[in-house]
Amino acid sequence: MVSLLRNQKARNVLLQVLYVGSLAALVLAGVMIARRNLAEQGITSGFDFLYKSTGWDVNFSLLPATANDPYWWFFLIGIINTLFLGSVGLILATVVGTIVGLARTSSNELARLLGRTYVDIFRNIPLILQVFFWYAIITHLPTPRAAHEAWGMLLTSRGLYVPAPNVGGVAMALAILTVIAAVVLPVWLGRTSRLSQPIGKRLAIQLAGMAAALACAVLVLLVARLPDAPLLDFPALQGLNLKGGLRIPPEFSALAIAIAIYGGSYIAEIVRGGFKAIGKGQVEAALSMGLSPWRVFTLVKLPLALRAMLPILANQYVWLIKATTMGIAVGFTDFFMVVALTINHSGQTLEAIGILMAGFLTINLSLAAVFNRINKAIALKGNQLRG
Amino acid sequence: MISGNATESGGPAVRIENLDKYYGSFHALRKVNLSVERGERIVICGPSGSGKSTMIRCINRLEQHNGGRITVLGTELNDDVGNIDEIRREVGMVFQHFNLFPHMTVLENCMIAPMIVRKRPRTEAEATARRYLEKVRIPEQAMKFPGQLSGGQQQRVAIARALCMQPQIMLFDEPTSALDPEMIAEVLDVMVTLASEGMTMICVTHEMGFARRVADRVIFMDGGEIVEEAPPEEFFTSCRNERTRQFLSQVLGH
Amino acid sequence: MEMVIVAPPAPGRLEDLRRRFFATPLQALLSLASLAIMVFLAWNLLNWAIFSAVFTTSGGPEACQAAAGACWSVIAARWRIILFGLYPFEEQWRSALACVTVVVMTVLSCIPAFWTGRRIALVWGAGAVLYYVLMKGGVLGLTYVGEEAWGGLALTLFIFVTSCLIGFPLAICLALMRRSELPWISRTTGIIIDGVRSLPLISILFTFAIVLPFALPQWLAGDKLYRVILGSALFFSAYQAEIVRGGMQGVPNGQAEAAMALGMSYWQRISRILLPQAMRNALPATINQFVISFKETSLVVIVGFFEILASGNAAYGTGEWRFAYIEVYAFIAFIYFVFVFSLSRYGAFLERRMSVGER
Repeated sequence: MVSLLRNQKARNVLLQVLYVGSLAALVLAGVMIARRNLAEQGITSGFDFLYKSTGWDVNFSLLPATANDPYWWFFLIGIINTLFLGSVGLILATVVGTIVGLARTSSNELARLLGRTYVDIFRNIPLILQVFFWYAIITHLPTPRAAHEAWGMLLTSRGLYVPAPNVGGVAMALAILTVIAAVVLPVWLGRTSRLSQPIGKRLAIQLAGMAAALACAVLVLLVARLPDAPLLDFPALQGLNLKGGLRIPPEFSALAIAIAIYGGSYIAEIVRGGFKAIGKGQVEAALSMGLSPWRVFTLVKLPLALRAMLPILANQYVWLIKATTMGIAVGFTDFFMVVALTINHSGQTLEAIGILMAGFLTINLSLAAVFNRINKAIALKGNQLRG
Repeated sequence: MISGNATESGGPAVRIENLDKYYGSFHALRKVNLSVERGERIVICGPSGSGKSTMIRCINRLEQHNGGRITVLGTELNDDVGNIDEIRREVGMVFQHFNLFPHMTVLENCMIAPMIVRKRPRTEAEATARRYLEKVRIPEQAMKFPGQLSGGQQQRVAIARALCMQPQIMLFDEPTSALDPEMIAEVLDVMVTLASEGMTMICVTHEMGFARRVADRVIFMDGGEIVEEAPPEEFFTSCRNERTRQFLSQVLGH
Repeated sequence: MEMVIVAPPAPGRLEDLRRRFFATPLQALLSLASLAIMVFLAWNLLNWAIFSAVFTTSGGPEACQAAAGACWSVIAARWRIILFGLYPFEEQWRSALACVTVVVMTVLSCIPAFWTGRRIALVWGAGAVLYYVLMKGGVLGLTYVGEEAWGGLALTLFIFVTSCLIGFPLAICLALMRRSELPWISRTTGIIIDGVRSLPLISILFTFAIVLPFALPQWLAGDKLYRVILGSALFFSAYQAEIVRGGMQGVPNGQAEAAMALGMSYWQRISRILLPQAMRNALPATINQFVISFKETSLVVIVGFFEILASGNAAYGTGEWRFAYIEVYAFIAFIYFVFVFSLSRYGAFLERRMSVGER
């Protein structure tokens, strides 16, 4: 026995078996106890509950939802809400972050100061505090009767009312897809023909592509328009309530604003870091070739900075998606809140936690996979820029 | 399996029999046999990738061998953890890149192992450390950090650090390869002194002058095998093997 | 990019201004726009926060609500709730002292003289014990105050400190296991670390607060506060473990080899050679992680703790101060800002100092 313990190989095997074994035992014991405890409360384990109707409602959904719908449908709604809030938050945060980040790298001292103040303030206040703050601000807006009005939009304590096109959901989705294509396609087209064509021609191709796609989007909307209604439906006061238009609930706007502002401060730092990582030599070389500052920026600085930023940006995006779980603090029914409500109402604790983990794992892994592909596609060959 | 006393006298210092070592599918050492007597000084040379470093790293188990037997001071190196500890205590090693601990002063570098491995009291460890620093001729640098020293000085500290454990065998793994030419001499001087005091030394080095002066035997390795093994005068004047001759003409230069 | 201009001898102040802010029309436009934004924001903020603000409670909420600016009276009236929560009124000096303990502890651990494993552990261990005794009482003639009465800033700090205290050693263990040569240990640990990192903190807090009691025998479940601390420590350690691992990867292999050649055992190599160097490499990222987890401590409000955010909600949410929510949030934000900003500045300073020291 003693000699066995002194044997390196025997020791290694023993250590591994002990470690993995005790972890497995711990998890197993936890699950067993939980199942027994739950069974005592009359809850049978298994995923049958997914097909039962929930009996409760969600306050925000892109898909039709009633209290009669089954659990699985609510989980789907939760995931879509999370992804929707996440992508709105990501886009806004990226826009804010890019502007602030560019200000921070600008050659103008005042702009730099402004950017730095922004980052220093909003980065150092917890996100959830910012969510609470914006939520309080929005819910303290005037009632619908005394709503602020601006460009056809109404600001009220019950949410932001914006004009909405009078079209069905499918057509709307189609139109949105076309607009996305309008942005992505020209970039894709321009990509293949980088420098081999004069800049005017490339620009013309891109603009033409964008225009065509936008036209398609408008066409879709026009064709799908509900009969006997104007294309745009403006919100208006009717009695004590607001009718018409699209209501963006305060929970959603508070979260989106907070994520945009807080995330923007982080992305600004990433943008700044990306530009800082560009070698002085590259810029000097480009300037010495007589390129204009604008073309130095688009042809040399931006591509290099993007490559430096992307891996860190990916992490930040994953973090921001996870931050949507703060929805539960103000009552936005994101994925996590659906899980929490499920546990409250149905008692299917283990299953719901399992679904939660699987959901976030899937979201994380797929985001990571997407970014890895982009990273690989744009990575510089060799490492001539290092050191 | 209870190991023998590592300090017992009699028998060779190191005995290597049919040593095999693989890195994946690469056969780094092929059935190497070598025996080193106590007090003997061996110089091993050979082109890079010939397995010479791998071989001496097997002697204190920085590399695990895949076949054959290694016996150090009468104790066999195997999976027995106690044997490994025992052998490492008795075998000092000097590395190409010094590997001094950068977060400790020179003195602490020399004291740490005797204190925590040999459990010597602090005062004794410090006295020993200062004595060996004196011996490698840098007592005045004791309170500095390794980063503040030149390469040659760092390597001498590394030698002192190894000696502070009062080992019976010293391994040198290309101790002068990372040094600027003007610093090589100061390190070799220390090594010559050490040799003259009867330390068992196994040196991987390309310093042929050093080999000629102190080595009892010079060994030439190539392709994971010992190709030539002879006393220096014979090695440098009448080597039998073609590869050895080629190598010597490259090293001894034009 | 800076243009190199051959400077004429001693340019006038005006000339200097012109060159810095109005070198080209575009620059001038940018400067003016930035200046306009800054002046606008600064004036409005100052006006709201100071010039038109009400600071005293004398007029009561009504006078305060009528004022054009901020109503700081709410802070004057409710600061005890925000800082100490429901802690008994006569004993709140203890809560205050406990907060000071944490601040002193943090400041001490920023001094390089305390950067040895033993000293830092001593500072944090002693600080945590002192805090616990002060808050809980029951000994040394202090009246007993149960955890359920703790709240406000004091609770926030407690959760933060204990999470780090548990999470840090755990992070080192996880990092070591992930780097282990034994495949099953490193793989399993990798799954644990990546799994925790892929989950949002809120879901972990929720699991530990509400779900874990189901999976534990009754006698093990303990107080909700300590379960949540455990969850937040686990989350902290998963992130910190990756930072520590990064620090370890920065230590050359030769260091471990040299230690092995000197006959040191595994633990001696880890504690004397690898960790001191790895922690030094990981220091800036570690401070950053502390900053992040301090901010994330605020999330425990979601699982129903009366920490500073919840007590802030309560401070304005009840009774006559209902309108003064901005002031309360500004106050809490300011407290967070002071902690987080100073810590992150300190981190940036260290990073600069270390990068200078390297060269």
